[in-house]
Amino acid sequence: MLLAKIALGLASTVAFAAVYTFREGVIRVDVDEFRTGGSHVHVWVPATIVPIALHFTPKCHMQHAAENIKPWIPTIRQLAKELEKYPEANLVEVIDRDDHVQIRTHGGKLQIDVHEPGESVHVAFPIATLEEISGQLTENIPGA
Amino acid sequence: MFNRTKRFGAVSLVFAMLALSGAAAAYAQSGSTKDRWLHVRVINSDNKGETVRVNIPLELAENVLPTINKDHLHNGKITIDQAHLNEVDVHALLNAIRTAKDGEYVTVQGTDQDVRVAKEGGRLLVRVKDNKGSKSNKSDVDIKIPMHVIDALFSAGKDELDVVAGLHALALMGDTELVSVKSEDSTVRVWMDSKNVSD
Repeated sequence: MLLAKIALGLASTVAFAAVYTFREGVIRVDVDEFRTGGSHVHVWVPATIVPIALHFTPKCHMQHAAENIKPWIPTIRQLAKELEKYPEANLVEVIDRDDHVQIRTHGGKLQIDVHEPGESVHVAFPIATLEEISGQLTENIPGA
Repeated sequence: MFNRTKRFGAVSLVFAMLALSGAAAAYAQSGSTKDRWLHVRVINSDNKGETVRVNIPLELAENVLPTINKDHLHNGKITIDQAHLNEVDVHALLNAIRTAKDGEYVTVQGTDQDVRVAKEGGRLLVRVKDNKGSKSNKSDVDIKIPMHVIDALFSAGKDELDVVAGLHALALMGDTELVSVKSEDSTVRVWMDSKNVSD
C-alpha cells in the first residue's frame, strides 16, 4: 500500500513536471542533408527552458547579444505580439522547380521550412518564446 | 390600454433590434483592420517556374513598421530624397488632382509605349502598355491607387511618405486590386482582401 502511494506520488510528479515543461510547446530544429555522409540534426527543446537557460547565460554574453540586436528588439517584440493574433497564416512562400521556402504560423508557432535539392531545414518555435527572448535581451541592454 | 402599451413596447423592441443589427451590419461592412490582408503574388513562367506568395495582415504591418528605424524608414515614414523629385511639388500636384474632376489626365500613345493616367471613382489609375520589343519583353502595367490612400501617404510632410497612414487608409477599404503587371513570362499582382491565403 505504501509502495503504491509512493509510485502514485512519483508518477503524478513526473506528469506534472512534463506538463509544466511542455506547456509552452517545443522548439524544433531539423536539418537533413540527403547525401552520403550528410548530417541529420534533430533538436527538440521545451520552450519553457529557454528563458531559464537565458537566465543562467553569463551576463557579458547576454549584454553582447543585446547590444548587437538592440535596434531590432522593438521590432521583434512587436512582431511576436502581432503574430500571436494570427496563429494560422501562410506569410511567405517561394516555390520553384527545385526549392520550396515557406514562412508561416501554425498552431501558435512560427515555422520556417526550406527544401532544396539535397537539404531540408525546418525550424519551429512558439511565438511566445520570441517575445520572451526579446524581453530578456531588453533587460540586458547595457545602460537600459 | 395594457395591450396597447405592451404592443408599443414590443414594436419599440423590434425597432431597437433592427437599429442595432443595422449598426452591427454597417460595422461589419466597414471591416476592422484586423482582417485585411495585403497579398503579393509573382509568377514567373520561365524554365525555373518560380512563384512567390506573400500574405501580410495590414494590422501587423501597421504596428510593426513604426518600430523599424533603418536608412530612409523612420517611425513608419519614408524620407524622400528631394534629388529624386526633380523640383516637382508633389503636394501641389496631388492637390490639383484631388480637386479635379474624374477624367483622363495623360494619354501618350507612342510607338514604344502607351501611357494613360486618369482619375476614376476616387482612384488614380496608371496604365502602361509596351508596344515595342520582343514578345517576352512586352508588359502591361496597371496601378490603381485610391485617392485617400495617396492623401494619407503624403500627409506626413513635404519630404516624407507616411506608409503607416497609407496602410491604415487602405485597410478601411473593401477588397481591391492595387497593382497588376502582366508579361509573357511573368505576372505580378498586389491586392488586398480579407482572406489569409492568396489563392
